[in-house]
Amino acid sequence: MAYNLLKGKRGIITGALDENSIAWKVAVRAKEEGATFTLTNAPVALRMGKIKELAEQCNTEVIPADATSVEDLENLYKRSMELLGGKIDFVLHSIGMSPNVRKGREYGDLNYDWFMKTLDISAMSFHKMLQVAEKLDALNEGASVVALSYIAAQRTFPDYSDMAQAKAMLESIARSYGERYGRLKKVRVNTISQSPTRTTAGTGISGFDVFYDYAEMMSPLGNATADDCADMCIVMFSDLTRKVTMQNIFHDGGFSSMGISPQVVEKLSK
Amino acid sequence: MSEIAEKVKNIIVEKLGVDASEVTPEASFTNDLGADSLDTVELIMEFEKEFNVSIPDEDAEKISTVGEAIAYIEKQLAS
Repeated sequence: MAYNLLKGKRGIITGALDENSIAWKVAVRAKEEGATFTLTNAPVALRMGKIKELAEQCNTEVIPADATSVEDLENLYKRSMELLGGKIDFVLHSIGMSPNVRKGREYGDLNYDWFMKTLDISAMSFHKMLQVAEKLDALNEGASVVALSYIAAQRTFPDYSDMAQAKAMLESIARSYGERYGRLKKVRVNTISQSPTRTTAGTGISGFDVFYDYAEMMSPLGNATADDCADMCIVMFSDLTRKVTMQNIFHDGGFSSMGISPQVVEKLSK
Repeated sequence: MSEIAEKVKNIIVEKLGVDASEVTPEASFTNDLGADSLDTVELIMEFEKEFNVSIPDEDAEKISTVGEAIAYIEKQLAS
């Protein structure tokens, strides 16, 4: 159902790879809610995924950008403002990658070049997106910037490896930049800590099914799906949340507040 | 080993973080060298850049071993 929550708003949506991507669902929902936006992803992801299909469906353009490159991000904002006809009202950061996770390195045997890459791509890119936006004065007053996170930032999930540090840094950047950008232009900066989600990136983590099933059993409302997350992003982009900033918002069916659930008790009592 | 084969091998070692001794002509990128879906696309793009060739997706799908990659690039550069 559409509520016209983003009518007339302009946005940038990163990280849509294929129809399982959270960013893909956000794009589809944002269009339904009346927004116009551009899409972006890394060149290799453009080639790997189906973002062109999404662009056609949303009647928009894809602007390739490496999120670790300030120059690429400058181009992304400039082109987006040109194409959309004005400053930007919402930005979705849905970017994360860890070579150590992908290669299954033990936490006691991490490759440090890869660790840096994890932090650069998954967290520092968020700062870059914000700093570039500020320097170009690319965001409208009251704009909303959202990045997607995971509870491994606060609690330990061994298979999540160095991505846990990346998410902790991401959430910290939201607080630090949220203060600055709020003071300067009433821009809101938040992270959404989402349930494990069956995306191409998510299922690349070893033991993903166990994460998923465990979270499902522990969450009174069950895991939040990618579609649910898209709804949450729309709410965060809308004017209805204009005083929410510097928060990490758990969107996880209640998982983060649970100690143990009757389902888990039952399972372990057997 | 040809110069092309040597370059291909170096790219694979660098990109996949594997030992050079594992990069045999028969080695499969995904089954033997631990490449995931993103690695395979990155490798193809790296080959394109290094050798200044274009490898369409339908051809890329057929390249699953080190030997196949070398043979494909040698053929492209010869034509």
